[in-house]
Amino acid sequence: FFQSSDFLFKFLVIGNAGTGKSCLLHQFIEKKFKDDSNHTIGVEFGSKIINVGGKYVKLQIWDTAGQERFRSVTRSYYRGAAGALLVYDITSRETYNALTNWLTDARMLASQNIVIILCGNKKDLDADREVTFLEASRFAQENELMFLETSALTGENVEEAFVQCARKILNKIESGELDPERMGSGIQYGDAALRQLRSPRRAQAQSAQECGC
Amino acid sequence: EYEEKAGRAQRPLSPKQNVRKNLDFEPLSTTALILEDRPANLPAKPAEEAQKHRQQYEEMVVQAKKRELKEAQKRKKQLEERCKLEESIGNAVLTWNNEILPNWETMCCSRKVRELWWQGIPPSVRGKVWSLAIGNELNITHELYDICLARAKEKWRSLSTGGAEVECEDAGFSAADREASLELIKLDISRTFPNLCIFQQGGPYHDTLHSILGAYTCYRPDVGYVQGMSFIAAVLILNLDTADAFIAFSNLLNKPCQMAFFRVDHGLMLTYFAAFEVFFEENLPKLFAHFKKNNLTPDIYLIDWIFTLYSKSLPLDLACRVWDVFCRDGEEFLFRTALGILKLFEDILTKMDFIHIAQFLTKLPEDLPSEEFFTSIAAIQMQSRNKKWAQILTALQKDNREMEKGSPSLKR
Repeated sequence: FFQSSDFLFKFLVIGNAGTGKSCLLHQFIEKKFKDDSNHTIGVEFGSKIINVGGKYVKLQIWDTAGQERFRSVTRSYYRGAAGALLVYDITSRETYNALTNWLTDARMLASQNIVIILCGNKKDLDADREVTFLEASRFAQENELMFLETSALTGENVEEAFVQCARKILNKIESGELDPERMGSGIQYGDAALRQLRSPRRAQAQSAQECGC
Repeated sequence: EYEEKAGRAQRPLSPKQNVRKNLDFEPLSTTALILEDRPANLPAKPAEEAQKHRQQYEEMVVQAKKRELKEAQKRKKQLEERCKLEESIGNAVLTWNNEILPNWETMCCSRKVRELWWQGIPPSVRGKVWSLAIGNELNITHELYDICLARAKEKWRSLSTGGAEVECEDAGFSAADREASLELIKLDISRTFPNLCIFQQGGPYHDTLHSILGAYTCYRPDVGYVQGMSFIAAVLILNLDTADAFIAFSNLLNKPCQMAFFRVDHGLMLTYFAAFEVFFEENLPKLFAHFKKNNLTPDIYLIDWIFTLYSKSLPLDLACRVWDVFCRDGEEFLFRTALGILKLFEDILTKMDFIHIAQFLTKLPEDLPSEEFFTSIAAIQMQSRNKKWAQILTALQKDNREMEKGSPSLKR
């Protein structure tokens, strides 16, 4: 709870209704499968500090409602997101077909450099599979997405999805491709980093970002 | 129960009974505190030590008795309170059934009834009162429900057989969309009050919930099924027969606030949030400033609360009491309840940052104290500079329309 962090990333979890977005989040945070979960109305939240290559990153995760009708509401939550899990259900082609729409929204409304990882969830239901691994990984490649098949039930690849996405953002920061001080980057310095920096210029940038999210 | 226990405990009398004679109960466990003499094979204690031990023993017994007396008194008080509550519910049922319901039109707005209403409607008359209060402006009959249901069933059949497209005048919605919406109903029913286990596949109310939601999509294809509805329908089903639940459901959703939200009219929703913020600032200025500072906008928590009328976020018995007063006072009570929640948790919320507030409010503690909760709501004033909720809302709507004329893309 009071672990200090070097960075704070805003993450989104998006995708059609019933693909398991909230269950992925619950599995990531609680390390448990939530089998009596409600559907999300509007948005729910989770946060967790993870260690990525020696840096502590606090993820602030926005878990959005999946129904198409809520799109106009959830769109307003995209702003300033640094990363996103784009979720479909491997047993439902319909949820896979909707990916393009979600992707357009995310690229248009979140930060320009948003890092997106495609998650083919319900990997444990392989017998009912409607979308092959190969097909989805081609889609991911074409659209410059990272890709994993996950199972919120067993926990397989769930932590990895969040961590890989965070790692890619960190790499982009280190390579200079991403500037945490730019407005709407979805990245803030964490309290640990702030304590080290403390220069007035940085502090200003920090407060400017806070207003912008 | 308490007296029975106390009576039983009185039989095995312990030696120090004279001290306790005037108490009307016997402590339960102190009899287990027995000062044993030292085993005979060991040398006797020095008199002084024995005396000290006896003294310590007596102190222990006194303490234990004190504690047990206190607990017994607490239990007795709880029992008395429960009896009083049961009696008052019994009386309330009589009053509702014999005095209020037969004379609904004349009595529903009287001060006495309004006060009784605030206390919570007894479960046995709750459905009737809700029905009357919600009304049936839409003049829906049981026959109309049957017709809508029959059409819904036809659609489901054609969906499952993959057969020919049913003739449908659902203007503006593609077949794929309707199909998705019917699929979504199925998916969401299993995710509605999952812990109650009555709406899930095989549960007693699964089909009822399915029917009402399906019938509604045929009755109002322009609105269709929107997530959140399943909770509202479920709460109504728990209190009303199917057709009456459908009537209440359709009329409830037809109210201006519910229509704005379920049609996801974003502009109008923002107006509601803005009106809410006027009263937020008025009632809880410190917390309001803290939320502003943290960029915590009201949509983050209000959307879930308004869409499900609190039935997802509050314990069901509390949610029903909120519904009671919502039926009495209308939409403004939904926002007053929100302020009541914020007020109840003001102290901890003021110490939290964005993410913790957001997490807290989208997942409220399960053990909300009901009396404190309603006291907190009661303390919220729904007047801002002599203006009431409806006036503020209308004024903001007017501003909004004028601004929209100026700039078409009005967003936060």
